[in-house]
Amino acid sequence: MDAVEKANAERQKRWIKDQKVGEGTYAVVYRGHEASTGKKIAIKKIKVGQFKDGLDMSAIREVKYLRELHHQNIIALFDVFSSKTNLNLVLEFLDADLELIIKDRSIVFLPADIKSWLAMTLRGLEFCHRNWVLHRDLKPNNLLIASDGQLKIADFGLARDFADPGYKMTCQVITRWYRPPELLFGSRYYSTAVDIWSVGCIFAELMLRIPYLPGESDVDQLRTTFRALGTPTEEDWPGHTKLPHYVAVGQFPKPPLRDLFTAATADALNLLSKCLIYEPRKRISARDALNHPYFFALPNPTNPAKLPKSASQLAPRPLEEVDGNVDPSGSAAAPGTKAAGTAARLKRKASVSEAETRAVARRLDFTLSSSQRSP
Amino acid sequence: MSKSGWLRGTTVRKGLGSSQNTRASTPQVQSTSTTIFGGGVKDATGKVSEYSSMEDQCPVCKSDRYLNPKLRLLVSACYHKMCESCIDRLFTLGPAPCPICGKTLRKLAFMPQTFEDLFVEKEVAVRRRLAKEFNKRREDFTDLRAYNDYLEQVEDIMFNLINDIDVAKTEDRIKQYRIENAALIEANIQKDESYAAQLREQEETERSTRAERARELEKEEDEERRAREAVERELLNNLEHSSTDALKLVAKSRAELAKREQARKASAGAAQSRAGVLRSRAVMSAIPDEPHVPLQDNWYAYEDKFVLKDDYFDPLSEAVKKDREGIMRAGGYRVEEAWERAIRCAVAGLDVPPSSELSAVQSVVPHVDLAGDVVMASA
Amino acid sequence: MAVDDNRRVPLYEGSTQYRNWRFSPDKLQETRSSLNAAAVAGIRKAFEADSAVPRTRQPGSSANVSFLTPEEENLLVKLYIGKISQLCGLFKFSEEVEATAITYLKRFYLKNTVMDWHPKNVMLTALFLATKTTNHPISLEFYASHIPKTTPSDVLDLEFLVAQSLGFEFSVWHAHRALWGLWLDIQTLPDISITTLSQVQEIALQQIRASRLTDAELIYTPSQIALACLSLASSDLAKQWAESKGSLSVLAIVENIQQLIAGEGTDPEVEAVREVDKRLRLCKNPEKVPGSKAYLAKKAEEEATALARRSKKADDVKKAMEAGDPFGDELGMREGALDDDD
Repeated sequence: MDAVEKANAERQKRWIKDQKVGEGTYAVVYRGHEASTGKKIAIKKIKVGQFKDGLDMSAIREVKYLRELHHQNIIALFDVFSSKTNLNLVLEFLDADLELIIKDRSIVFLPADIKSWLAMTLRGLEFCHRNWVLHRDLKPNNLLIASDGQLKIADFGLARDFADPGYKMTCQVITRWYRPPELLFGSRYYSTAVDIWSVGCIFAELMLRIPYLPGESDVDQLRTTFRALGTPTEEDWPGHTKLPHYVAVGQFPKPPLRDLFTAATADALNLLSKCLIYEPRKRISARDALNHPYFFALPNPTNPAKLPKSASQLAPRPLEEVDGNVDPSGSAAAPGTKAAGTAARLKRKASVSEAETRAVARRLDFTLSSSQRSP
Repeated sequence: MSKSGWLRGTTVRKGLGSSQNTRASTPQVQSTSTTIFGGGVKDATGKVSEYSSMEDQCPVCKSDRYLNPKLRLLVSACYHKMCESCIDRLFTLGPAPCPICGKTLRKLAFMPQTFEDLFVEKEVAVRRRLAKEFNKRREDFTDLRAYNDYLEQVEDIMFNLINDIDVAKTEDRIKQYRIENAALIEANIQKDESYAAQLREQEETERSTRAERARELEKEEDEERRAREAVERELLNNLEHSSTDALKLVAKSRAELAKREQARKASAGAAQSRAGVLRSRAVMSAIPDEPHVPLQDNWYAYEDKFVLKDDYFDPLSEAVKKDREGIMRAGGYRVEEAWERAIRCAVAGLDVPPSSELSAVQSVVPHVDLAGDVVMASA
Repeated sequence: MAVDDNRRVPLYEGSTQYRNWRFSPDKLQETRSSLNAAAVAGIRKAFEADSAVPRTRQPGSSANVSFLTPEEENLLVKLYIGKISQLCGLFKFSEEVEATAITYLKRFYLKNTVMDWHPKNVMLTALFLATKTTNHPISLEFYASHIPKTTPSDVLDLEFLVAQSLGFEFSVWHAHRALWGLWLDIQTLPDISITTLSQVQEIALQQIRASRLTDAELIYTPSQIALACLSLASSDLAKQWAESKGSLSVLAIVENIQQLIAGEGTDPEVEAVREVDKRLRLCKNPEKVPGSKAYLAKKAEEEATALARRSKKADDVKKAMEAGDPFGDELGMREGALDDDD
């Protein structure tokens, strides 16, 4: 025991906590840096011994998968060390997420930007699937953006391995607005298609700038989905009426996607529709999606370094790049976490004037944003 | 000759292919007559749009567009309509009385109709005629009252003429006015013309400055490109011939380019409009948008070591095969994914020799470098 | 893929299993020996501290105590591996859970000694942890209530320790899944009779279970172990498949594994184990026994260090606040930037 503890103490010395940046019900997040290199990191301290069944399942899942998955578009776990009753995850520091960027109406999206984000999301997801991991909680909030523009999938608290044949999984996964109908109907046997549905919803949201299918309850979610995409028939989706929680929520005709996504190209709509096919077996896979003509058509996806950033990311940058200083303008959200409460996000103290003087910043009049319907 | 198209105007005869039709249901105008009829009200560009509708019917011969698609109705000096063939029939041999009101008309007195309502047509013609002479402005009067009185007078005259009331007396009034105000009328005509000329000049200058700016921009970008090429060429030259460290040379030329960019950006910075912000993206074109590459990592997943079959004899997936209600299928469970996982496990690390290390195992942490490749670096 | 093959990293080699839990046979031996030696030294000291007041054990200096050898430790662990299988049968846990729990137990004892922690407790915790990490969780209540003489806290107390010893590396690649893959992939070979294959598979599966009693998974890869088990059932089939994969070199490795399974893949003799267990009671580390003098002393020592560290931190904070440290975040200051137990 002592040897293990000692080893941990050594590991702990490598990482220095600078400042608390957020707190949730089961974890506290700190901003910090690596002692030897000054590299910016986030330390997520998970309190142990709080739950009657011991180590929390979310914590276990996060550690288990982040330990094994190393990819450009998945948040990196540098180290894990523990003290008496704490589990500390040393993650890469990411201060913004896609949700912030979508909601920031002063940022204008070009079609090439959307293409770039979608490609990065799919790459990260394809890697998860290649390693037989279902993420089961994809949403813009969990897609974090690094300072070099790379998108990283984070929050593996609901992830799990593919199930062996005949084994049931829970259907209570994925945030409601991004949850596919098979889960809403209570299916206990599903596959990677559930993540692709979420990606489809995220794609739509990038184009619309508001959530595509916002339901207020599980039944309402079904209704919203069917209104947007038409009620599935037995032919569309064989067997769906036999699913455990099947209910009829109304017959809606299938409206053409073009009506809502007026500025999207035909390729984009084709890919979107393939992500939102009702029958899960027919839904496109992550790898096939990455090979879809949409990505090969012009414009080329924006180079990640040029992707728009939210104001909070822009303002503190000059300081960090110079000498790794503490950021006095207050840092942003809990990186890499889905700590249970949204109380984990701190107020942004970004200085607007700084953002405006940067040629990269996209601070435009609000009058512009309403007429910009990309892609 | 005054170029004020509105007042004088040259009639631009609408050809068959003209697309100037702004009225509803206006088919192409086709003439069956050998005479060319001028006149008509011109719009701001000096062109005439002719009015016609499906309900047109010649009051004289009663033919309509249904029977005669090429029907074209023209308006007489006494503001009565009739079709070209009637006009030809009645007036080719010389002046003749108007079949509707009896007034003597010449053939050339007929004009194409511009407005749907003939009354309006008449009014427009009257106003046009009077405006040339009754052209006093506000400045010509001492107070507002006087100006308004003048305007009322004008309206009165116009009303009479349009509605054929006391025409002779009204014409006399006009004549009277003309004599009394000859000088002022002339002066105002001059003023109008010079004003119009001014406006035209402004437009010209604006257009030319815009063109010039565009040309300048082009020149700038061209120059920049050439400069960049020159620097690159120099760099290549240096790399070939000089003995300085290649890296240093490259860095130097990069720095030079960056400096140049900065200078240009600084000078162009001030005049950024909305379009300019989008253009700043193009300025960052030092970073290109690469074409899409589906997968960018360097993980090897043993793809070449096996081929997945559609179906296997597999007791472990009996439950899936049975799936009587089809709910596993409806939920989307893919047993192929489980099979692929198993087979990959069977081929993964097949040739890995056991560790031969005797000393402490270095914890090798995979680390993703800037290119997105995974590199096994020691912790 | 358009990527140059030299730069490509095979998926398995990115796993923690390959990176951190792969040893040579010599290295395994060395690790266990040094762990054992360190444990003995530590326990001797604890005995000295404890000997002032006689308790349930025989009074005397530590010279009389005969400590376990590394081999004896291993024997005990082997016994409890078997017990895991029994429990899994009782609870009807899947093979995945069973295999994972066994791996956890083995790995635990590469970082700890049985004289500090008795496998009968660790085994229960490892199994419970395995149900969680493999996504087959059950409630602690249910679990403890179905195991005689076990309270929930017996299981939970060690959970963090086990997880810590595993380095929080929970993902394991198993040989039985590789065997399943073999079963499937062999069907692509020509002239395969399913009946023969089924028989072979039965035997191979038993061999897999036997292999779990050995150190095989700590030395070789799961695919190699699976192939070896298949080879024990039908060496021709194994050879045929290996050839089709262009991996003839693996057959030599398979040989070694076969020998290992044959030699070590059997349950330990009950008598021998009973002996070891008896001696263990005498050489157990008193520091780990709640209530013993040594235990209490150790606890007191830990408390003191923690207290000292905490007050030092409080002083630092006070000093910083007085000095008006510009780097102090208001939020952190207000809510106490201190970690209470770092």
